[in-house]
Amino acid sequence: MSDLALTPRKSATSTNGYRIVQSISVFVIALVIISPLFMLFIASLKDDRFQILADMGSFRAFWVDNPTFNNFREVGNFAGDLAFGRYLGNSLFILGSTVSLGLIINSMAGFILAWGSLPGRALILSVIIALYVIPQESIIMPLLIIVSRAGLSDTFTAQILPFVASPLYTFLFYQFFAQLPKELYEAASIDGASIFRTWWSIFVPLSLPALATVSILMGIETWNQYLWPILITQTDYARPISVAIATFFGQDSIYWDRAMAASVMMMIPILVFYLAFQRWFISSFVGSAVKG
Amino acid sequence: MSALTTVPKRRRRSIIARVGWSRFLQEIGMLAPAIVLMTVFLITPFVLSFWTAMTNQPLVPRPTPVRFIGLKNFLRILNDDLFWTSLWNVTRFTLWVLPVQCGLAFVTALILNQKIPFRNVFRGMFFLPAITSMVVVCVIWGTLFQYPTGPLNQVVTTLSGGHIQPIDWLGDPSWAMFSIVLLSAWQAYGFQMIIYLAGMQGIPDELYDAARIDGAGRWGRFWHVTMPGLRPTHVFVLVITTIQAFKLYTQIAILTQGGPNSSTETVVHYMVRSGFEEQKLGYASAVSVILFLIVLVIALIQRRLMRRFDV
Repeated sequence: MSDLALTPRKSATSTNGYRIVQSISVFVIALVIISPLFMLFIASLKDDRFQILADMGSFRAFWVDNPTFNNFREVGNFAGDLAFGRYLGNSLFILGSTVSLGLIINSMAGFILAWGSLPGRALILSVIIALYVIPQESIIMPLLIIVSRAGLSDTFTAQILPFVASPLYTFLFYQFFAQLPKELYEAASIDGASIFRTWWSIFVPLSLPALATVSILMGIETWNQYLWPILITQTDYARPISVAIATFFGQDSIYWDRAMAASVMMMIPILVFYLAFQRWFISSFVGSAVKG
Repeated sequence: MSALTTVPKRRRRSIIARVGWSRFLQEIGMLAPAIVLMTVFLITPFVLSFWTAMTNQPLVPRPTPVRFIGLKNFLRILNDDLFWTSLWNVTRFTLWVLPVQCGLAFVTALILNQKIPFRNVFRGMFFLPAITSMVVVCVIWGTLFQYPTGPLNQVVTTLSGGHIQPIDWLGDPSWAMFSIVLLSAWQAYGFQMIIYLAGMQGIPDELYDAARIDGAGRWGRFWHVTMPGLRPTHVFVLVITTIQAFKLYTQIAILTQGGPNSSTETVVHYMVRSGFEEQKLGYASAVSVILFLIVLVIALIQRRLMRRFDV
């Protein structure tokens, strides 16, 4: 309670009263906000699918007597009806490819826009900023024509390639590179390094904050894709877990246990990353917003 | 350097003269992938959407050629009651979700801006729904909303001592959109919370100290320092939430399919249905052009407002 001693307050009693009320309300709000997620995890460990729903209205929603991984075993197959193992793998593959290609391509473009010498860079930059206003939803129908005419329906490529280059991420890289000191760039050119080398061995290692921000934003965006994959995938081959869960939930809503287990499977990868890099997650959301 | 003499254009000559061919080609090579991909997958479909919107393009190619039909699709859309219903529904959704979502974001940000124990733990928890995929959110809330014996109804019955009848959250036309508002606000408020928190931390401490010296209490400081300091943040948060709200789709597609009685039909859902299920791609493109214009207008209003508040 060091801050209490440092800052003078009018009366200690009213401050203490305020603190108690504050702590209780914070706790209650946190409980209300977090309980749906907590219920999901608990329910996925329960075996009796009819009991799950009955339990959820009471405190039993937060408790499981005999935790079991049966639900996960049932849905975690790689073929057949409940091939959520496969769908999860598909999603991870799409995520990994989109993010790694996206980091390279948007970072290179942002670097050239910031430090290159091509004429018309300012124009390209303003076009890119203007493109940011186009919502994905409003180009999805023509995109469907283009991608299916190119023979890419029901492929991984169709879910990766269209989303690799992005105005927002190119702009974020541009913004980051542009504020690095000029001396850095000049030192590299005096040493005779090529522009590609300058980018790769000097600017890329310095851009960890930008790399983290873009990976996180792009990762969440890719992981949560729903409309596009539902339009473009027809079979299990490249179907991501988001579409698979929605389809399963839509037709077999009585299998709460399985739907919950599949949802937990979808949450775990992102949760692991979030717990490991929480600070980065939060700062990247701020970063995506403070763009002019 | 033969480039000096062979390249005729003055501008071109100057860059190659300055940096040489190898560097010029490297720069092109580094910029090209992004430009080409954006052209193919963003600019082309965008331009194409205006053209397709004026044709009778079907989803699956037919032997009969695609015809140019001018503004007929737009006229049909504007004469379709369901389109106006969907536009009214997203407006209704926006008007409800703005106070709920931004209010929740504001309150949680205020809490996190205080010196409370375990602040970082609470911040991490408050942000969790924002990283939860909408599909997962739909599974959770679809379960909570079960009628008549679902968890939320059990809570309502218990708290009211049995006086309130179970609510058919997603099946009752007068409740369905409100239920969608609840789960959407819960999922998305974390983003606005973080923006508010950044805004609050950007208010200089001196202002609070000055207010304290002037005898302002907790409430006075909130009302005369925090609120005016957050004006640009409010504008930003409101606009972002509005644009997000107009694109409402996933929750609807998974939980209600626009029902019951079209009470949750939205513009994007209407577009996907006409383009994908009814296979009228030209018609759907016309809807997407309208959606783009709506988003553009909101974004332009935001720019005006932001300039006014000097952001």
